[in-house]
Order: sequence, then structure tokens, then C-alpha cells
Amino acid sequence: MMKTTSRRNRTVSRLAAASLASVLLAGPVFAATPVIEIEIRDHLFFPAEVQVPADTKVKLLVRNLDPTPEEFESYELNREKVISGNSQAVIFIGPLPPGTYPFFGEFNPKTAQGLVRVE
Amino acid sequence: MLLTSVILILQETLEAALLFSILAVITLQVGGRPRNWLPWGLLAGGLLAWVYALNLRRISEWFDYVGQEVVNAALQLGIAFAIVLLAVWLGRRAAKKETAPAPGRRVFGFLCAATVALAITREGSEILVFLGGFLAAQNSVQALLTGSGIGFGIGVSVGFLLFYGLLALADNTRTPGRVLPLVLLALFGGNMFAQAAVQLMQADWLAAGPALWDSSAWLSEQSVTGRLLYALIGYESNPSATHVTAYLAGALAVPAAFYAGRRSRR
Repeated sequence: MMKTTSRRNRTVSRLAAASLASVLLAGPVFAATPVIEIEIRDHLFFPAEVQVPADTKVKLLVRNLDPTPEEFESYELNREKVISGNSQAVIFIGPLPPGTYPFFGEFNPKTAQGLVRVE
Repeated sequence: MLLTSVILILQETLEAALLFSILAVITLQVGGRPRNWLPWGLLAGGLLAWVYALNLRRISEWFDYVGQEVVNAALQLGIAFAIVLLAVWLGRRAAKKETAPAPGRRVFGFLCAATVALAITREGSEILVFLGGFLAAQNSVQALLTGSGIGFGIGVSVGFLLFYGLLALADNTRTPGRVLPLVLLALFGGNMFAQAAVQLMQADWLAAGPALWDSSAWLSEQSVTGRLLYALIGYESNPSATHVTAYLAGALAVPAAFYAGRRSRR
């Protein structure tokens, strides 16, 4: 009985420590990674151009509102990711030097064109 | 849609065809039969690709929406690992200077089938998601299927050219031609290791660094030559230091494993 209680106490204190640690660690991490949202509608990117700070890691949150899949691809960013229809995807980019980095939808390259402007 | 599907299917087919050709030529070099492992690799890969494509949405949500990167990296690391094991096997066989006994051949065949299966899982799932997604949309089915057929046809043709070209060179009694398949296998392994690193950087599991160089003005990845070199040896016009390191490590691991295997037998 004693054993169970002490074990439970230990678990509780471990959980508390873990959650405290995650708050302390995650807080600044999330604050430091800007999130940029991009939508795919009718095989087009909205917005088609996004601005990103230089030398900073950025989290792209791409929501595909089309029923068809799309592949986010960029030679300049070295990124490629299939995004199912009606779903969202996370793609980390950077830190990058200033410049322009085009991206496109490989499944609809004629229409789905976008640009990341790093400043 | 026609041109898109030609390019898309061709790219994936080309990469797979190159791997099959290298493995098939090496198999013939060691006196084996590619037909002993190729059908199993294709079958297992096809099934896994189908399962992956069907569950892509769910898998993508794993690990805070980077599940796809993690699974792809795992598949690519698996290919690189299988290639290293193949190199050990080839090294051990080279030391013996005689034909391998049946159990050894089974190991070799299994490794070839596993490599092919893992490659098909990744490449094939992308094709299946593309085809599945747009066949359901039903507005350009004919263009889609025609394009895919053309892309697949060109990919398979180039694959046969590669196979017979490589076989002719490997049959040469001179050393450079004979070791060419192993050199290409090493580059393929390096590419897989580098691709896995890129996937993990995309998922933010591995720190991303600045590009080491930019050769896009000299040879663009979007040009035909650039695409071809990307499929064949993993050409990248602006790789990061991690990318290059992973490529070299993966590629050098193959000769290292070959010599380690050869020494262990002496």
C-alpha cells in the first residue's frame, strides 16, 4: 500500500516536473518559430506570396481546401510534401538568407505557384 | 494534366528503374537471378505503397503533422541500411572467390527484395495519391491516364537502356566497368541518406543550416539534365552542409562495408 502511494506520488511529481519543463521549454520555442498560413483553393495558393524574416526558422501551415491532393514543392527551399485533399500540413523552412524562393504545387504546376520572400 | 502526369510518373519510375538496374546487374555479376527477388520486392512494395497511400492523411498528422517526413526518412534510411548490408555481403563473397552457397544467396535475394520494396513504397505511394486523388475528380481522366502511361513507358524504356548499358560495361574485364554498379549503388545509398536528412530538416527534427553552395545558375534542378541527375545521383543545386555530409557518409559507407566484409572473411 505504502509502495503504491509513494509510486503514485512520484508519478504525480514527475508529471508536474515534466509539465513545468514543457511550459518553460515550449514557451520560448513556440514564440521563436513564426507560423505562416497558406491555403490551397481551386489549385491556387492564397496568399501567393508570403514574407518571412531572414535567418529565422518558420513553420508553414498549408491548408488544402481542395478535394484533390497537392504536392508542395520548391527546388529553392529543398522542400516537397504531399498534402491530401481537405487536410493540412506543416512544413518547416529556414533559417534563410534574404531573397526570393518560389514554390509550386507539383500536381497542378500551371496554376499553383507561390513565392516566399525573405527579408 | 497530361504533361504534369508524364513528368510526375516519369520521375518516380526513373528512380526506381535505376535501382532495379543496378541491383539486377550486381545479381548477374554474382551469378544470381534477378527474377528470384524482383517480383517479391515489387509485390511487397506495391502492397506497402497502397497501405501508405490509403492512410496518408492519418500518417501526416502523426508527430504534430510531420508524420509523412518521419515515415519517408525511415524508408530512406532503411534503403541506405539495406544497401550497406548488401555491400558487406558482396565484400564477403569477393573474399571467397567462389560461388556463394544457397543460404548466402537467400540473404542476398532478401536484401535486394527489401531495398526494392522500400523504394516502391515511397515512390509508389506518391503516384497512388496523385492518381487516386485526380481520378476521383473525374474531369481529366483521359489526359491523366494517357500521361501516366507515357511517363511510365518512358521510365521503363530508360530503365532497360540503363540495365543493358550497365550490364555491357559490367561485363567488361577491366576494373572500372566491373565496379561501376557498386559505385552507382554507393551513390544511391548516399542519396537516400541525404534525402532522409532533408526530410528530418523539413520536420524540424534536425537543425537546418544555410546552403553550402548554389549551382542553380550553372545547372538548374528544373532543367531536363538537372532532373535526370537528381533522379540518378541525387543532384541538388543548393544543398546544406548536413545534406552534403549525409550524402558523403551514406556513399562512403558502401565501400567501407565492402572492405569490412572482405576482411572479415580473410
